[in-house]
Amino acid sequence: MSTISTQLRTFKEPTKEQLTQLFFSIPPSITARSEKDGLERMEINAVLSLSAEAEEDSYAGKLYLIPPFLSFASLDRKSCRFTLPLCTIRRVERLNARAGIYALSLSLWHGMKIVVQLTSLRPTADLFCSMLRDALKAELQHGQMKAVRNFVKTCYSETLVLSTSPAAEEELEEKTPQEGQEGSPSNDTPYHVGLGLKFKFPGDPKKLREASKVKLWTTYLKTHGRNLTLLRYPQCTRLVQVGLPNRLRGEMWEVLSGSLFLRFSNPGLYEQILEDNKGRTSTSTEDIEKDLHRSLPEYSAYQSEEGISALRRVLQAYSFQNPELGYCQAMNILAAALLIYMSEEQAFWLLEVICDRLLPGYYSTSMHGTLLDQRVFESLVQKCLPIIHDYFQEVDVQLSVASLPWFLSLFINSMPMVFACRIIDCFFCMGPKVLFQVGLAILKINGEELLKIQDDGGFIQLMRSYFASLGNSAHPKSPDPRARAITRFQELLLVSFREFAIITDDTIHNERRKFRSEIVFSIESFSKRAAVRNLKSLERFTKEQAGFIYDALYRAMCVVPPPAPVMTPVPSLISDGNEEKPETRIGLRTFRVFLSEVATWARDEKVIINGFQQRVDREVAEHEFIDRLFYFWDVSCKGALSFQDLVSGLDGVMFNDLMENIEWFFNLHDKNKDGYLTKDEVLTLSESLLFIFRFEIGDAYLGAVSRFMTNAFEYGDALLPQPEEKGEEDDAPLPDIGHNQPYLNLATFRMVVLADEILESFFETDLSACFKLEPVPMMDLPSSNNGFLGDLISNIATDDNKKLFNRFTDRIGQTIGKHQVIHRPAIGRYTKLDEPKARESLLTPSMRQSPSTSPTSATDAAVRVPSPSSVSTSNLSAAEASKISPLSMVKNANDALMERPQFAIDDALDDDGDTDDEFGLGEDDGVMDEVDAFLEAHDSGLTEEQRELAKDLLNAKPVK
Amino acid sequence: MAESGSGAADKSVQVKLVLLGEAAVGKSSIVLRFVSNEFQANKEPTIGAAFLTQKCRLEDRVLRYEIWDTAGQERFHSLAPMYYRNAQAAVVVYDVTKASSLEKAKSWVKELQRQANPNIVIALAGNKLDLVQPSSSSSGATSMPESEDEADDATATPGEAAAPGEQPESLRQVPRDEAEAYAKEAGLLFFETSAKTGEGVVEIFTEIAKKIPIEHILASSRGTGRPGAAGRSGAAQEGGVSLEENGAKGKDACNC
Ligand SMILES: Nc1nc2c(ncn2[C@@H]2O[C@H](COP(=O)(O)OP(=O)(O)OP(=O)(O)O)[C@@H](O)[C@H]2O)c(=O)[nH]1
Ligand SMILES: [Mg+2]
Repeated sequence: MSTISTQLRTFKEPTKEQLTQLFFSIPPSITARSEKDGLERMEINAVLSLSAEAEEDSYAGKLYLIPPFLSFASLDRKSCRFTLPLCTIRRVERLNARAGIYALSLSLWHGMKIVVQLTSLRPTADLFCSMLRDALKAELQHGQMKAVRNFVKTCYSETLVLSTSPAAEEELEEKTPQEGQEGSPSNDTPYHVGLGLKFKFPGDPKKLREASKVKLWTTYLKTHGRNLTLLRYPQCTRLVQVGLPNRLRGEMWEVLSGSLFLRFSNPGLYEQILEDNKGRTSTSTEDIEKDLHRSLPEYSAYQSEEGISALRRVLQAYSFQNPELGYCQAMNILAAALLIYMSEEQAFWLLEVICDRLLPGYYSTSMHGTLLDQRVFESLVQKCLPIIHDYFQEVDVQLSVASLPWFLSLFINSMPMVFACRIIDCFFCMGPKVLFQVGLAILKINGEELLKIQDDGGFIQLMRSYFASLGNSAHPKSPDPRARAITRFQELLLVSFREFAIITDDTIHNERRKFRSEIVFSIESFSKRAAVRNLKSLERFTKEQAGFIYDALYRAMCVVPPPAPVMTPVPSLISDGNEEKPETRIGLRTFRVFLSEVATWARDEKVIINGFQQRVDREVAEHEFIDRLFYFWDVSCKGALSFQDLVSGLDGVMFNDLMENIEWFFNLHDKNKDGYLTKDEVLTLSESLLFIFRFEIGDAYLGAVSRFMTNAFEYGDALLPQPEEKGEEDDAPLPDIGHNQPYLNLATFRMVVLADEILESFFETDLSACFKLEPVPMMDLPSSNNGFLGDLISNIATDDNKKLFNRFTDRIGQTIGKHQVIHRPAIGRYTKLDEPKARESLLTPSMRQSPSTSPTSATDAAVRVPSPSSVSTSNLSAAEASKISPLSMVKNANDALMERPQFAIDDALDDDGDTDDEFGLGEDDGVMDEVDAFLEAHDSGLTEEQRELAKDLLNAKPVK
Repeated sequence: MAESGSGAADKSVQVKLVLLGEAAVGKSSIVLRFVSNEFQANKEPTIGAAFLTQKCRLEDRVLRYEIWDTAGQERFHSLAPMYYRNAQAAVVVYDVTKASSLEKAKSWVKELQRQANPNIVIALAGNKLDLVQPSSSSSGATSMPESEDEADDATATPGEAAAPGEQPESLRQVPRDEAEAYAKEAGLLFFETSAKTGEGVVEIFTEIAKKIPIEHILASSRGTGRPGAAGRSGAAQEGGVSLEENGAKGKDACNC
């Protein structure tokens, strides 16, 4: 593998706050702005009810202020929810109702009213209101309120409801259309459309019952908001489950997935990205080009230039926007499908949401998300369908040979487009768990047949014929015509959502957490092996050693990520093939970190003793010598080093004997490679030596360098090179040689070095030995104190907290006079001889085992030391637990004190009965009658009394 | 040689074959040509892998190829072991008009030789030969019924960007000698093919069939049910996508 990705290592479990934000599909990029404004988040218990025509029940749940959004979720987290941009709220009023009731009425820009009753204690509600007010004010200042009107014109839903919604009409009319909305709405419509409008949507509109679906949606959108303001009541989910109407599909996808918010808050960015990157090529654009004609080629739009270029632009824009991911095959199919239903700009943002949030890591260079979810899927099969799982084990069938493409291409590649689209509808509406539910349902429905297959091939073939039969009747022999009318696809959805309702977001989240490290490990060891295997030359290293170099490189890249590989324009048609391949190359900054992993003198190690703990603080050294090495190893003059360069470079120094090392060091400083050092270079070389020796204890090394300099100039002057011998025309024989003139040749240099015992021994062994292909020992030494602080530190195992802790103990140490800092020497050879006394008093025996001299290898040390202070990277949950800030702790405590008991929550939320009466939505057409219109019964968890109250509130007058 | 297998004559033998190679070199097209004698100008990229079967008669014996056609893009690389595990044969494909694709092919060969089934028969195929043959585009394919749709595939293939009048041989980036010499050195079967005209495609599969140690497969499938199944079940239990190529076996075969 030529590129190395570091996303895996740097993964962090999302915080609770981030999870909430994820749940509400709120893009972090948008909330970041409000955070900068200092707007805080808050959540509060609330009951939601709808004014006007809506007849739905009220819902108890939680209201979240996540500036610039206001969100709500019912207690069961699925019946009812909304995510409203604050800028769509035109008025907030406190309602005048019975005493002790605290309710707000929110009027949205198109006139719809929402009533939220804040059921927390009064002061909490007051606080919430004032924070809401601040957040609204900020939105007004940002001019977002105005942006709404223009933006909604790009949404088809507005056109759909406009004719019969006077309020909204006025609002829209009020403003004369200003500069055309960015993006690419087609000429004759103000709203964004997909290719389908011109090239026809897949499927038979009659059979899809498009007309009645549109009618049902129009009603829903009128009463429950739309685009930016859509409230998701149970009926919304039901309508999605029977399939979105083609014309509305694109917009609903972006609304349900939340990509709409990205498009709203980044007007014009899509066009801008294309403009800024015009004519640019990269490996991604090359890959995209290959696949443009290979994306849903049977769909007519993709046989025309119009469709192809739309697809090209969307994929390219995405690859420019996210160069690390770039382009992955399967994205072309996905994008091609999206573009049938939505505009380029819409598809671009939806792609962003898919790759970034819904299917994280699926399309990345390591595809770790794909691998992880396959592992999760397998584990779910084991849990839910143990017989099938065991049978697969028995006959050695791999689940993912079939299931991987399902997930990767959202079934588009596996089943007919009309059916795949309906799964995608549900996917955007209910989240990634849908893929797992459908996957499990497929296996369950085919269970009997699956138990007959013999191998991977049989599995694939069975799946293929099943997908081909999705349009057929599920019960062809049934005497009941209604049962016969049920297609196998409907059966699939029914089984997915009814029998696998147990698979929730939490399930997926937990399973992913369980298997993440396993996947990361196998990917890492895989790419390591591949990288080592693909080396042109291992040089004299063993594979293990090369593997270690790889590890060090990898760690360095986690600290300082290199820029994403961008392909340089191919110089000639007949390149040797290597030039074109994107390859991970590291720059100088990453190199410094890398070198600090392998060379003792390339890191500054300070042993710190403060009375409570002893630890080693390690920093990456910076010196001209290191930079010199970087350019010395950059043999292809790219200004960046590849893995191979590092391996070859290290080979050049690690296996040397005395003479070779002297020559190596000489060449390193002979910049123009003429076989002579100039006087300046002699000085630089001395500085390099001083740098390497900077932490050696005692002045033996200092003396050696100073003797070296004296001798070098003495011998140099005595043995001045004869320019004639060298045959260089431009060198006039000068008695007093200039600073930049050839001065000292290798032979002289060797003589000078060998004249000094310390330097000789340095070049004989130490120089090579300073390079160590073994893990650098842990940062911490065993703590001398296992008492109070020892326990404390084991509880604060995050890096940040540890830094804080260290600073804290340092300060105490300083005040009590126990703070000591000792630089750890890079070689440490002469220390014992020269100043045994001084060292004895400063260093404890454990510290004296500096990495270069310690007989116990560093690996041992790292494994052996279960010191309470050692950083445990795997201990994430403990880290999470400890992250509670004092502020939120106080707040939580307050909340606990002040909040009155919650509403009696009906625990039996998942009762599976009484679903039948959910089907008839009063539409004779029978669309809702479809069996797959099934949805869990929703139970708002309200008592009769509360329901009454909610109704009252709808008619309450605002408080003056 | 294969023909000498005594009792196996009347029985159809299953051979698992995997196709590997850079994206868009024509792996899927080669399979399609072999399995249904068709050519599609715009073949969708393979996601994960595709699976097809085809019988192949070799003298008195019938081989049933189970063909795993894999995705070519670099990032799918880590999935490949899932498909080449237990494979008895591999076709590594490159595009004669793209030098880099041969480099990729070489690295596939290297990987297969280290981590796949030790007896695997590997063939190297340089595809899109039609693009570098002066006559092929004008004279048309030899009795291929699909020749009508070939007209519009000029835009489909990157290599075909050349103007019609240009000397086709100039598109060639991989000289036959060079690839053949490499194949010989690495012990591979070698072919130049065109999925478009069909040239050389069937030969790959028949030559592989000749080289496959059929008695061996029969013997092992009689013994443990499926070739290699017993030895590898441990690896399979590791879970869905096993990146550890061959489980325990992989470890001592390749000590990296
Ligand atoms: N002229 C010509 N074009 C070919 C030939 N074989 C394949 N192609 C074209 O090359 C493109 C890629 O072919 P595929 O068979 O999909 O390539 P692949 O190797 O399976 O690609 P991935 O699945 O992405 O790895 C298609 O547009 C084919 O029409 C050939 O022999 N001659
Ligand atoms: Mg393919």
